[in-house]
Amino acid sequence: MSKKSIETRDRYPHFLSIQTRWSDNDIYGHVNNVTYYSYFDTVVNSFLIDQGGLDIQTGGVIGVAVETMCEFNQPLAYPEVLEAGLRVGKLGHSSVRYEIGIFQEGATAAAAMGYFVHVFVDRATGRPAPIPDAIRSALERIKV
Amino acid sequence: MPDPTRRTRKDFPYLIQIPTRWSDNDMLGHVNNVLYYRYFEAVVVRFQMEEAGVDWINDAVSPQTVETLCRFHRPLSFPETVDAGLRVERIGNSSVTFAIALFGEDDETPAATGHFVHVFVDSDTLESQPIPAAMRGVFEKFAAP
Repeated sequence: MSKKSIETRDRYPHFLSIQTRWSDNDIYGHVNNVTYYSYFDTVVNSFLIDQGGLDIQTGGVIGVAVETMCEFNQPLAYPEVLEAGLRVGKLGHSSVRYEIGIFQEGATAAAAMGYFVHVFVDRATGRPAPIPDAIRSALERIKV
Repeated sequence: MPDPTRRTRKDFPYLIQIPTRWSDNDMLGHVNNVLYYRYFEAVVVRFQMEEAGVDWINDAVSPQTVETLCRFHRPLSFPETVDAGLRVERIGNSSVTFAIALFGEDDETPAATGHFVHVFVDSDTLESQPIPAAMRGVFEKFAAP
């Protein structure tokens, strides 16, 4: 496999601290690969709720995942506290591509890095809908 | 390469059934995106054990996950049973890439497609190692024609 370049902390304008849990570790004693996507889900949605005012219970639009990817650089393990870095790589009419790095607390190099593409759809019809203004301006703030 | 979204179950030489569980659905009433990777992992792990003969605990050289990707085409939902299909897409010196597809009960074509990359490493040092010869033979058998 080709040598890849590893993302660093300075490339992410927003961070969320994430406490790992006992059951995040698998039989190898490391955080299981699937769990990283749960961290992705958590940093993305908490940003949308806190900074964009997304109402996950009754809001008119919902975010639907259409593509996600993760590269695993080094193992992580409970009980460490992680930091999830977030930036917006691409912002469209109804879709957004988030780029995410998972870091050990204080580390410069990402332990894992990947992306998450959301399409916003109308909650009732399921059809793609424009990104609401409040969410869009929050996303603009972390766009690179 | 043919469009993966048009593949059918016949394109995947290794297929398992995975019953969804109540808690796989999230508050939007569909299987949460994270869980698709749980299904990916289930078919890859079963394949590695049953076909390639991987012993996760005792092997001196063992597979580590280095990259996964999923494209979500249609929702899946509890209580349906998902068919998870696997084929070998690429065999490198120390890595193998599996193409994965998930089919809902009524799906002719995949509800989700993606890949899962394993690198074989020394279980102690985590340095990458060549794929063991016997396993390479198995991967070739399950590779796309």
